[in-house]
Amino acid sequence: MTRLKAGGPAIAKQGILVAFIVFMIAFSLMSDRFLSADNIMSVFRQSAIIGVMAIGVTIVVIGGNLDLSVGSMLSFATVLVVDLHDKIGPELAIPVMVLATLCLGAINGFLIGILRLNSLIVTLGMLSAIQGLVLIYSGGQNVDIVDQRGTWFAIFGRGAVFGIATPIIIFGALALIFHVIMTTMPFGRRVHAVGGNPTASVFSGIPRSRVVFMTYLISALCVAIAAIILGSRVMGSQNNVGQGYELQVLAAVILGGTSLLGGSGSILRTVLGVLMLAFIQNGLILMGQPYYTQWLVTWAVIIVAVWLDVAAKRGRLFSPIA
Amino acid sequence: MTRTKKILLASCGTIALAGAASADTVRIGITQNNVGIDSYQTTYEQAFIAAAEANPNVEVIVLDAGGDVARQISQMQDLIQQRVDAIIIWPTDGQALVPAVRNAHREGIPVVVTNSNIAEAGMDFIAAFSGPNNIQQGIYSAEMMCEALGGEGQIVQITGMPGYTTAIERQKGFDDRLAELCPGVTQMDIQPGDWNRERAQRTMETFLTRFDQIDGVYSGDDNMGVGALNAALAAGRAEGMVFIGATNFAVGYDAMARGEYWGSVYQSPVDDARAALQTALDVLAGEDVPKLNYFDTPKITQDNMHEFDRPVF
Repeated sequence: MTRLKAGGPAIAKQGILVAFIVFMIAFSLMSDRFLSADNIMSVFRQSAIIGVMAIGVTIVVIGGNLDLSVGSMLSFATVLVVDLHDKIGPELAIPVMVLATLCLGAINGFLIGILRLNSLIVTLGMLSAIQGLVLIYSGGQNVDIVDQRGTWFAIFGRGAVFGIATPIIIFGALALIFHVIMTTMPFGRRVHAVGGNPTASVFSGIPRSRVVFMTYLISALCVAIAAIILGSRVMGSQNNVGQGYELQVLAAVILGGTSLLGGSGSILRTVLGVLMLAFIQNGLILMGQPYYTQWLVTWAVIIVAVWLDVAAKRGRLFSPIA
Repeated sequence: MTRTKKILLASCGTIALAGAASADTVRIGITQNNVGIDSYQTTYEQAFIAAAEANPNVEVIVLDAGGDVARQISQMQDLIQQRVDAIIIWPTDGQALVPAVRNAHREGIPVVVTNSNIAEAGMDFIAAFSGPNNIQQGIYSAEMMCEALGGEGQIVQITGMPGYTTAIERQKGFDDRLAELCPGVTQMDIQPGDWNRERAQRTMETFLTRFDQIDGVYSGDDNMGVGALNAALAAGRAEGMVFIGATNFAVGYDAMARGEYWGSVYQSPVDDARAALQTALDVLAGEDVPKLNYFDTPKITQDNMHEFDRPVF
């Protein structure tokens, strides 16, 4: 039962934090704008969309599954909320979109949680199925909000409260809420248990099917919230706007040290992973590097961070069984 | 050729009559890149079908590869099997489709490439290419940028998806022409926006942090251009900044009407589709068709935008 224990030596969990700090110092030495308040706020705001999605995916992954459908689910939700905005108004468009997106999450949850199908296959299939759904719905047309200046819908992506951009507040609040749920509440412990050892969890009386189902509902909810931010920020949507986001989200989750085998992971460290990826993209452009360096550096940083993380856990840099 | 159709043709008038005497109905197969993925391709398909229906001498088989190279190769094989008179292809991949185009050529079926050209190696096997001239579009954008800035200033560029022919050609046309025409304008950096408005907005936000003075922004299409504009508006720095795009989108058109967006290049999917069909018909009629056929994609600015319809995408 050690895997279920929340504690452990404090330093053993901080590999990603160390990597993050080292990396931030290195970048700030190379560009004097990097650590300016404006830039930090800007990157926080940019990372909110990927970040909100990553919260949901972290919970799915801790539960021992994957969710690759979040990218096209984001396209679906954004196209829907933007399209409905002008048709039925934002106060109705938002709940309708959230419900529709939750339905997609419920399909994932039913197939994986209740029918126990492989999550990689199901969500990979959903990735293209939902993209097809988007194309059928929109008929291939881009959607745009006509009155971009007058709508209160702008608050979610473009607004600010007490000088802090709304996307940052939403991202921060969701991260805190789900962090508390995952670390202190029975549901959080159940997700860890189901992901860590599914068989044992069933024998312990945990309703495994229902827990997995819930993780996919949460993931869909997070996508719906990300879609509100995205739609409000852009005030329009392409059909494939979320294409490729699933991999960025997964990269952030992995960078945050969440085990793809399930059973362990942390929302707050996913947040660090999200921020680190966003700062890499931002920092390299600030330094005037060509775009392809971003891909190389992102990959290298993930490898180094995962390595440091593993090394911190086992207390040495190289495997003892070399 | 059925009797009823001939009667129908005859009743259509003198023009149709002239053709009906010699030519039977021609069957043209088209395999498109990825209909439905964006408004341009969706409108293209509708316009193509409409143009074909308007011509009683033409029967079309309309296929879509869904962005899948393998599926497009088998669609090419199917069309060859069906012995169509001509094939129009919008390549999903200019390089990978060369062998399929060569097969059609060997079977004596003329191939017209539409919108995005096939790789150099395939040029000997095609009857003609019909589409926009993306290098010319880049040149137009450079000329507009130069004019808007009065020959002096510092600009940034946001390109399309790295590796896409359209993105590469527009950038090349722009870079070369700007350097030649406007040595007083410096390009401070070029970064991709991946044809994605949100991504372009992020790139622009970073540019705004990095550069205190940005006089102009060139984007590979208006969708990204509006993303850049959004970023500048949010930072309160859009005033006096010149935004030039390409492929005029409805959002770009509207921003132009508000005076926030300077100019773009007008590329109509309807013209694109009609030009492709016409090129194929010219080839079949035995006319001397040039290898490269470009339809007109004019400059559109705040000054002349009233001459153009608002784009449908």
